[in-house]
Amino acid sequence: MHNLVMPYMPLGMFLVAALARSADAQIDAGFYTSKVKPLLKEKCIACHGPVRSEAGLRLDTADHIKHGSSEGPILTIDHPDDSKILKRVLEAAPSDRMPPEGEGVALLAEEVAVLRDWIFHRTPSPDQEEAIAGPIDHWAFQPILKPKPPTPNATALSTVDGFIAIEQRERDLTALPESDRLTLLRRITLDLTGLPPTFEEIQSFLADQDSHAYERRVENLLSRSSYGERWGRHWMDVWRYSDWDGYKEEVRGSQRNIWHWRDWIIESLNENKPYDQMIVEMLAGDEIDPLNDRVLRATGFLARNFHINNRNIWLDATVEHTAKAFVGLTINCAKCHDHKYDPLSQTDYYRFRAIFEPHRVRTDPVLLNSPIAKTGFPRAYDADLSAETYLFVRGDDKQPIKGHPIESSIPLKLPIPISFGVSSVPLPIASYLPELTLEVERAAIEKALKKCDEARLAVDKSFQNQRESDLKTISSSESTALAAGLALNETTEKTDSRKPEASELRSQSDLAFEMLKLSEAEASLTSLKLRYAADKAKYFEGDSVANERLAAEALEAEQRWKNIESELRVATATRALRSAEQSQQKDEKKRAAAIDKAKKELTAAEVAHKKSVAADPSEKLKAYTPVAISYPKESTGRRLALARWIVDRQNPLTARVAVNHIWSRHFGTPLVDNVFDFGMKTPKPELLAVLDWLAAEFIESGWDMKHLHRILVGTQAYRRASSGSPEHMAVAQRMDPDNQFYWRGNVRRLDAEEVRDSVLAVGHILDDTKGGPDISEDDGEKNLRRSVYFRHAYEKQMTMMVMFDAASPNECYRRRPSVIPQQALVLANSQLARSASRKLALRIWKETGQVASEFVQRLFMETLNRPPDEHELDACLSFFKERTEKERIEAARYVSDAASKPESPKPESPKPESPKPEKPKSTSEPTLEPPASDPSERACQSLAHVLLNHSDFVSVR
Amino acid sequence: MPTRTTFTRRQLLCDTGLGFGSLALAAMLDQEQSQAQESRLDPRASIRRIAPKAKSVIWLFMIGGTSHMESFDPKPALNKYAGKTFAETPYGDVLKSPYMANERAVAFDPNNGFVRTEVYPLQVDYRKWGQSGLEISDWWPHLGQCADDLCLIRSMWTEDSNHGAQLQFHTGRHRIDGFFPTIGSWVNYGLGSLNDDLPQFVVMGTPVADCCGGVETYRANYLGPQYDGIPLKIDPRDPLPYAKRQPDVRREEQESEFDFLRRLNQMTADAFPEDESIRARMKSYELAFRMQMAVPEVVSFDKESKQTLDSYGIDQEVTRSFGQQMLTARRLVERGVRFVQVYHGSNGGAGNWDAHANLQTGHSKLCQQVDQPIAALLKDLKQRGLLDETLVVWASEFGRTPGSQSSNGRDHHPYGFTVWMAGGGIRGGIAHGNTDELGFHAVEDRHYVTDIHATVLYQLGIEPRSLTLPGRKRLERDYGHPIREIML
Repeated sequence: MHNLVMPYMPLGMFLVAALARSADAQIDAGFYTSKVKPLLKEKCIACHGPVRSEAGLRLDTADHIKHGSSEGPILTIDHPDDSKILKRVLEAAPSDRMPPEGEGVALLAEEVAVLRDWIFHRTPSPDQEEAIAGPIDHWAFQPILKPKPPTPNATALSTVDGFIAIEQRERDLTALPESDRLTLLRRITLDLTGLPPTFEEIQSFLADQDSHAYERRVENLLSRSSYGERWGRHWMDVWRYSDWDGYKEEVRGSQRNIWHWRDWIIESLNENKPYDQMIVEMLAGDEIDPLNDRVLRATGFLARNFHINNRNIWLDATVEHTAKAFVGLTINCAKCHDHKYDPLSQTDYYRFRAIFEPHRVRTDPVLLNSPIAKTGFPRAYDADLSAETYLFVRGDDKQPIKGHPIESSIPLKLPIPISFGVSSVPLPIASYLPELTLEVERAAIEKALKKCDEARLAVDKSFQNQRESDLKTISSSESTALAAGLALNETTEKTDSRKPEASELRSQSDLAFEMLKLSEAEASLTSLKLRYAADKAKYFEGDSVANERLAAEALEAEQRWKNIESELRVATATRALRSAEQSQQKDEKKRAAAIDKAKKELTAAEVAHKKSVAADPSEKLKAYTPVAISYPKESTGRRLALARWIVDRQNPLTARVAVNHIWSRHFGTPLVDNVFDFGMKTPKPELLAVLDWLAAEFIESGWDMKHLHRILVGTQAYRRASSGSPEHMAVAQRMDPDNQFYWRGNVRRLDAEEVRDSVLAVGHILDDTKGGPDISEDDGEKNLRRSVYFRHAYEKQMTMMVMFDAASPNECYRRRPSVIPQQALVLANSQLARSASRKLALRIWKETGQVASEFVQRLFMETLNRPPDEHELDACLSFFKERTEKERIEAARYVSDAASKPESPKPESPKPESPKPEKPKSTSEPTLEPPASDPSERACQSLAHVLLNHSDFVSVR
Repeated sequence: MPTRTTFTRRQLLCDTGLGFGSLALAAMLDQEQSQAQESRLDPRASIRRIAPKAKSVIWLFMIGGTSHMESFDPKPALNKYAGKTFAETPYGDVLKSPYMANERAVAFDPNNGFVRTEVYPLQVDYRKWGQSGLEISDWWPHLGQCADDLCLIRSMWTEDSNHGAQLQFHTGRHRIDGFFPTIGSWVNYGLGSLNDDLPQFVVMGTPVADCCGGVETYRANYLGPQYDGIPLKIDPRDPLPYAKRQPDVRREEQESEFDFLRRLNQMTADAFPEDESIRARMKSYELAFRMQMAVPEVVSFDKESKQTLDSYGIDQEVTRSFGQQMLTARRLVERGVRFVQVYHGSNGGAGNWDAHANLQTGHSKLCQQVDQPIAALLKDLKQRGLLDETLVVWASEFGRTPGSQSSNGRDHHPYGFTVWMAGGGIRGGIAHGNTDELGFHAVEDRHYVTDIHATVLYQLGIEPRSLTLPGRKRLERDYGHPIREIML
């Protein structure tokens, strides 16, 4: 067994062992193609291939290998072990070894053996071997030229189908016919809205015999707001939507209130905002429309990358996912070294990073007239216009090459002829001094005024009370002075002198306290107004003498306010101490602790107050606290330049990447398999013509997403049945097992959100409220809103979602549905599924006049959106009969059990009329719907629950 | 030439257990498929298999950072130089070691994560145990009796000087690098099931808090949710999430529903013979139902003798909770569960073992909670002949500083600490590796945390290096190196 550990020991030591025969395989040209070539491609081609050929060496064809490097041959056919290529891969020193440390993992012993065997057998290779294409020839870097539609034929409905038909004909594939209408209706309804069709919708669709019924329904579905919720979630996957994550109150990633960006996504889709505009708003909304909340919130795309501990991680994520999401480039691979496959140098990585270097995230004050925000929301802005970007040696942030700042740019060697033009963007005052806008000022002043009003009311009320009880208690003039906040120093002295006299302290009336609160509120208002005046003068007025005077006034007012504020704190602490002393707390220990705490607070308050009013100028405020935070007066315009480069009609990647994402979500499989990498590692897709035609059409339509949806769901390819006659299936399956050429529809499992939302929908318990703050991930069984609105972040995801393969908040360009027992447990045992099926059953049972066969028909329609076949109907009816019988016996037994020994119900057979679960916290909080007491009704409920667990309930066929 | 244990396709597919996203594949067994297609469909086909030494792992994780010096790594020098600064001892140069650079701090925190330089004496005595004479502190008297089965690895190191090290211990990556598959999920992914009625990766005890990795310390990340650890409660009435029927559904009623569901699905499966997902889903329902039935039995101790229960300390308040978990761990591996991960010391934050102050009071109490149950587990496994095939791993995210903090505690210490293993083809009665005289740096046979992962995988018959997924880059260090020296 011990030879197995070879990979963990220096390879040189194992030369002899390693050079044993790699396998019993025939060493011929086929061996080269199947073993040697893939090995070299994985380990060497990045540096010795068409993109870069270091030392003049290319290893992508046998001819190149035989030719050797600029220093000479690398093979010694007669003495294979002397071959330079073998020596270099076996080199012990990691820096001289090939691939060198940091560029790749050393070859395993058996991999070395492959190379050696091949050399030993005199390097056999196929006669005609194509070299790997260079970047200039790569399919995805070619301009998108709208392919000419193939000659229309009788069967092809659309251009897309025409292209597909050609490929099918070439492969002798006969496509399946269109699905039946019910299957189609379920397919488009779930696909476009994430919810199944209702019974009424099914009825109306079946009744509509018009030849355009399907198209009309598609149009209707696209116009529903549920379209945005469904497709919003798709784009949230691609754009890495994440609510804030963190520990307790600390935000560690993303941002609070980032749900505004989620709402922007959903609303933008429903408005059918052009895709290019969406990209521009997400990357540079602050540069194109700096005062528009509706646009600014789009920059949540950037704010989402916030990372509390590490700016490099923050920017790395921004770089990586901007490139992957919009242009399908894995520029992240070039962080530590040049890209292995694509013409992206390490410097390109940092050029791209420099685009984002100046930006940060901030939350602006809420404007009174904001159309969307009652809370603030995170937004991007350029904070540091001169922030420099350095190349990190091997990507190590501890090794920046300082002194050589890297200028922002798109990757230089990409064969994409679009210029990257940066020009800085001047910003309006309200953008760089958001607090000094009239609305914000007014909001702040109104808030302060409101506080004064409330204080005044409290004084009035207190005065009334006082007069009614005992006027004498407010006897001393001290209190009046104290309440008016006059003669501050004097008051303090008095406070000090009075401190020991507990009785006097106790006598300080509520009225005096309320008056003190009022004077604090008024002082605060005055101070605020003067601070605004001083700030406005500072930024907008040139008269320095007048400005200085305003500043001095603001300072004086603020000091006065601070003094009263600290005095109020003393009074508050005094009252708290009194109430602690008088408290009815019986536990002496607790009481003493409370008193102790109150005493400490009082002492602290007194110290602070003393400091506040102290004559010592060093303890005092030196300048007023400005109300305005001032941000840069311009933005670099780099992000806007990037956005414009991305959405330029000449960019060959943007539209192709987007079309591929949309296609993949309609059809279940993408046209380009690796949806975030359109680089050279990704071979030309079989249906490139389809991709290109759609990409061109997308751009020509003004990046109209709904237009694209209409085209796609209108194709024959989309509308095909997923199953046909066994003979047909067998033949086609052999030709194209993976359905690469769309000869049938793909069966797909519902996404996590669709599963939960479907349960809610069929139970008629869905709460259709739109938008708003993220809902706790723990409330998935109680809160009946659509799943897209629940918190979705690291460590904070609904369990039910995770089990059904919801997107990872970190990265999910494509979901991978699984089939696992936990999913079965969720649907079998969740309160949600049980409640929904019980409500559903009762409703239908009533609506079908309590006729079992009608009930079953209708139940199938509502849950699986198809009628039962004959066998299913029979089986359901006998199940219903059995269950009804059984429930009748149970009910009878319960009655007799209850009569004999009422207090000991058997644990395994709870009474049919089960005890209500614990009372909910609020009445609006749904709880488990109890089972029906009527035996037939309960049987119906069982049957409905079975159908919610049916394979077809979570599938689109 | 390396000989590979070749797994037939059927074996591989049958071996998927709970983690069976590929059930659909199993359904395709009857169809002729080329080998090339097979490897394309299941990335696990590329896993290199070796002869396994162990079948299951019990992974015990102490949350907060157990002091290595007061547990398994005696350092008399600490007593000798108590109260002196490092500079005043002959070992002042520990702070100049290049190993210091391995630390990757997350953020400055004034309260912890510092090198403390005033030597704090040992808070407990040591004694030699068993024939091996392995030295173990007096806070572990029961475990001492198992000394001849223990392999202490005294030369661990990690990077994170704060409790993100809890995550790092399970994924091999520093918290700021993000989240990755955990060791338990790799095992679940790489190995087949031995019992279809139970989840293959079970988690017990309150997990690490969100500060320090949370659920990500037992998740599978990019491997997929089918490989996540499944939290198990020692409560026969409600042991697994969603594995309990609603209170007003009778058992008979649910059984009849499951039964009828199977019949209905079968009709659909017959109508669509090419759709493997229906059969996969039917199988998943059968598994789910069996799991729902089987799991309560595992956590119900009716059939255990009083003697057994007492040996685990279930009769005493202080040891009851962990004792129940240890007994359940044995019952789980007995039934073929592959990976049982047990947490101890959760307090909703950094963890109870985090002894910045009052180390003596705290640690002696915590040791008492786990010492007897762990020893009972080892003895019980051994007596039943299960220890040979069960690898028990005991660990904490890091050790504690040789210097003192707040007069009677120790700070976090990523530079040197101890992990131990027992059973599962590991040599007993040995101490492997060493820290320096102060217990500061691991200096001999140094091991990063992934070496523990690699050792676990290797003993289970998986060549760690071959655990790769297309498109998922793993760093060289993520794989770790199996510790050959400690293997039988």
